Amino acid sequence: MLEQIKKIKQEAENELKKISTSQELDTLRLKYLSRKGLISSLFSDLKDVVANERAIVGQKINQLKSDVESSYKELQESLKSDKETEDDVDLFLPGRQPFIGRLHPLTIVLDEIKQIFFNLGFHVEDGPEIETDYYNFEALNIPKDHPARDMQDTLYITEEILLRTHTSPVQIRVMQSQKPPISIIAPGRVYRRDTPDASHSPFFHQVEGLVVDEGISFGDLKGVITAFAHKMFGSDIKVRFRPSFFPFTEPSAEYDFNCVFCRGKGCRVCKNTGWMEISGAGMVDPNVFEAVGYDSEKYTGYAFGMGVDRIAMLKYGINDIRLFFENDLRFLNQF
Amino acid sequence: MKVSYNWLKDYVDFDLTPEELAEKLTMVGFEVEEIIQTLSKFEKIVVGKIKSCVKHPDADRLSVCEVELPDNTYNVICGAPNVQKGQNIPFAQVGVSLPNGLKIKKAKIRGTESFGMICSEEELGLVEHSDGIWVLPEEWSVGEDVYERLLDTQDFIFDIAITPNRPDAMSMIGIAREIAAFTERDLKIPKINLVEDDEPASKLISIEIENPEGCPRYAAKVIKNVKIKASPKWMADRLTAAGVRPINNIVDITNYILLETGQPLHAFDHKFIEDSKIVVRFSTENEKFITLDEKERELPHETVLICDGKKSVAIGGIMGGLNSEVTEKTKTVLLESAYFNPVHISRSSKKLGLSTEASQRFERGMDPSGVLFAANRAAYLMSELAGGKILSGEVDNYLNKIESRKISVRIERINKVLGTSITENEVIKILSSLGIEYKNGKATIPTFRPDLEREVDIIEEIARCITFDNIPVKEKTSIYYENQANDKDTYLSFLKKKLVELEFNEALTNSMIPKEMITDENKDDYLVPIYNPISDDMNIMRPSLIPGLLKSVIYNLNRNQPNIRLFELGRIFTKINDQYESEQPYNICGVICGNTKNPNWNEGTATVDFYDIKGLVESLINKIFLDKVEFILYDSHIYFDKKSTLSIKRGEQTLGYFGKIKREVLNKIDIEQDVFSFEFNADLLFDIRNINRQYKSFSKYPYVEKDLAFVLDQKVNSNEIINAIARAGGSLVESVNVFDVFTGENIGHGKKSIAFRIKFQSYEKTLQDEEVQGLFLKIINKIESTFHANLRE
Repeated sequence: MLEQIKKIKQEAENELKKISTSQELDTLRLKYLSRKGLISSLFSDLKDVVANERAIVGQKINQLKSDVESSYKELQESLKSDKETEDDVDLFLPGRQPFIGRLHPLTIVLDEIKQIFFNLGFHVEDGPEIETDYYNFEALNIPKDHPARDMQDTLYITEEILLRTHTSPVQIRVMQSQKPPISIIAPGRVYRRDTPDASHSPFFHQVEGLVVDEGISFGDLKGVITAFAHKMFGSDIKVRFRPSFFPFTEPSAEYDFNCVFCRGKGCRVCKNTGWMEISGAGMVDPNVFEAVGYDSEKYTGYAFGMGVDRIAMLKYGINDIRLFFENDLRFLNQF
Repeated sequence: MKVSYNWLKDYVDFDLTPEELAEKLTMVGFEVEEIIQTLSKFEKIVVGKIKSCVKHPDADRLSVCEVELPDNTYNVICGAPNVQKGQNIPFAQVGVSLPNGLKIKKAKIRGTESFGMICSEEELGLVEHSDGIWVLPEEWSVGEDVYERLLDTQDFIFDIAITPNRPDAMSMIGIAREIAAFTERDLKIPKINLVEDDEPASKLISIEIENPEGCPRYAAKVIKNVKIKASPKWMADRLTAAGVRPINNIVDITNYILLETGQPLHAFDHKFIEDSKIVVRFSTENEKFITLDEKERELPHETVLICDGKKSVAIGGIMGGLNSEVTEKTKTVLLESAYFNPVHISRSSKKLGLSTEASQRFERGMDPSGVLFAANRAAYLMSELAGGKILSGEVDNYLNKIESRKISVRIERINKVLGTSITENEVIKILSSLGIEYKNGKATIPTFRPDLEREVDIIEEIARCITFDNIPVKEKTSIYYENQANDKDTYLSFLKKKLVELEFNEALTNSMIPKEMITDENKDDYLVPIYNPISDDMNIMRPSLIPGLLKSVIYNLNRNQPNIRLFELGRIFTKINDQYESEQPYNICGVICGNTKNPNWNEGTATVDFYDIKGLVESLINKIFLDKVEFILYDSHIYFDKKSTLSIKRGEQTLGYFGKIKREVLNKIDIEQDVFSFEFNADLLFDIRNINRQYKSFSKYPYVEKDLAFVLDQKVNSNEIINAIARAGGSLVESVNVFDVFTGENIGHGKKSIAFRIKFQSYEKTLQDEEVQGLFLKIINKIESTFHANLRE
């Protein structure tokens, strides 16, 4: 019996030396340490040993078992740590990505616009999107039957209630509730009866600006729009004002910025003109002051609009306005 | 409006290239949107002479020609029936590409070789369609470049956006007047040398105006013995360039004068004017009329009608009638030139849904003083081009003459509004270039400028003429200290940022949605429908942000992007007490669907469920520092499943809802996956925002954790147990969490097991075992007795 123990011990030691993989190690475990393994069978043979030797033999078998076990564990550990530190580990597998929340590009651009105007001394006002004819047209010097109503195709709820076609009604609401000096911007959603295509959306976003005080001139309007252009797109961007017509401003202007892609040199995007139309502006028409009870002799003011969607399209080189409202994750995830 | 560059030169001499002119016009308020060249460049095509022309031996329809150029003679096969010996023709040599893309190659047709091609006008891109080859004038010399020869006829058509305040500029002379002003040249108005017959017009026509408020002036001339035929080429070309289709000489002349002077004219066949009499009156109730376009129209109230002694013959200022139009049989023309009240024309045109070149001008305001000039100029052309005999004089009914307006204009006010330093002399010069006299502080406005009514209108004219570029830019402005951030706007931005932190992407969706998406039975009580929607897909205003976000969900699902977390902050719209505009609160809404986290290479992911949306809502509430919020079962939401919805309450106020979107709602737009959502009223969140938050200290002493599990009735609300544990344990209970929930055979039917982990902690001392054990037993007793619960050992 003792011979047999010695032999198994020898054999196990030899085999342990040769082991290089965990698979081989597992085969060894089955052979010696499992319930039907060699060492277990030694224990079952113990009952055949004469009684006075049984204690010693038993001790030897126990010794053998614990030796093999500890060698096994040692080897198991070393095989495992090999695996962890050497070539089995690929540090270049992709990391586990969390979901990443992002603001919509129009929010990002609007926040930037708000910040620029806040620094220029403006504060934010808000107004309803469902408006009355009075605020959207009448008070802005656009009476019924006025040809200027044709300039904007309006979506109506009832004859007198409509979806605002511009953010200009906020001008009226602010002037009705506050006295000059006023310097506000009013961002918000506006609606037109346009069929959607790459450059039209039936709803889009404007920022209205209004400044009223004594001694405000067209030169101030040029100053503030120029400052905005420089802060938004860079100080090399030039601004140009062209005469235009809006019933609620007089004089009225359209203003253009140098094309932000070619910086005014002329390119395909600006059709080689070097300019991009931004929006309209002008000096508040005395009839508008009259509608809100301001003294148009004492106060002058300017108002301007700008399209947030348009500015975002310029800023990011987006060529289809519909992308903003489809909310395709491949789009939203780029901002 | 389409304006020809060459035609403008009839009225003003200017030395500007088309590009320079376009730029100048744009900078004084006439935006040139496009310049269209009438001649587009083509490759080298030369004049060739056909030396001989014989039938192709093997093809009946083909000819074999010898085309002579100065250096050589080419054999060419031509298929055109009009080819003849001796003609000058445009010749394309081998190697040339034509505008239609055809490249000329050496060819062999039925055994005969061909070296080049004889072209038609169509093939050179000069006309839409031509029959046969283009036979060139004899005086063109052989070898000459055809394109260069044509350059003389090159014209540039400007597409100009005329703003609605400038009816005077809706004509060639109007635009020329502006050009004359900025180029400091004279405006050349065409001279009219009328040769009139002895017979007076008044013998053939009389005019009666019953409603002068609709038609302050109506004048007519009579032209006899006209010969109706096609207009001469020069006139047809000019009309075509301006986008007007030539019809016959008489109709074309009225259109030509409209384009030249802006004044709309109408030619009647005098034969159909009964009783030789024109009566101008308002239409009566339900009156009907058949216009030139053969449509019977019901006339709106107070439409200006032109009638003869018996019947109506035209809708004044809008469109003529079928019963009196000029035809090829017309002999005597009654020519109308009138001034209509802009308000009446605008109203009738809108109500009729009929907008014409005439109505667009009258509704903006024509020149009441320009009526006779246009009539005489047209009569003159009718005698020149149709051989007509002009009866002497005109019949002109103009009772209350519209006088020139006088406006006070202060030089210092100009400078105050513009921020300039313009002198009186400069003002006089600028205004006189526009036909406005400025004397002693008063400007006299010509009647062709109805837009100039007030001092500020003159200020605009000054600004326009000096150009806005020359108004100095102010570089500083005063800032008022009381200007401050808008709290609401700041709060809404804050809300958005919190959702971004919770890993939501911000979406913006259409506020107009299809009514069809709303499944609710009572929808008509609160929905805001759009009266003139763009389509059925956008026929109501959104009463919730959920439908719009669901549309974005399906959009992404259809593009294989299944893991979605979107939120939107925007207004919603509902009708309350029949008021459409009163209630437009901002809502904030999130939707989730797909996996709980991004899939990766060694971990499985679960699909989102109710507890994901609940966790997000709880985190949001935590992040925006809302306290005293309760969740209450809610089973009658429009969009949420009645078994998986909680309302979010604070006292009596409902702040919002969250849960699983109803299957029937998802089926409406073919979403198969489960979608979970929350929607808060952001206005309410703003109203109850917590602005006085104070720092709260935390305990320095260690805590003790104890776990326990109860078997409870399935109906028991776990939140009540948590609250009961906290109450029973008192101030030493720092937190209570659920760490395991299960149901199964071994705990009995209708029962569930919930395991809680209670954290005990004191702010004053390290807790002793006995103390905690005492509280622990108290909690167990309380829960067992209150909820018929059994502690699991």
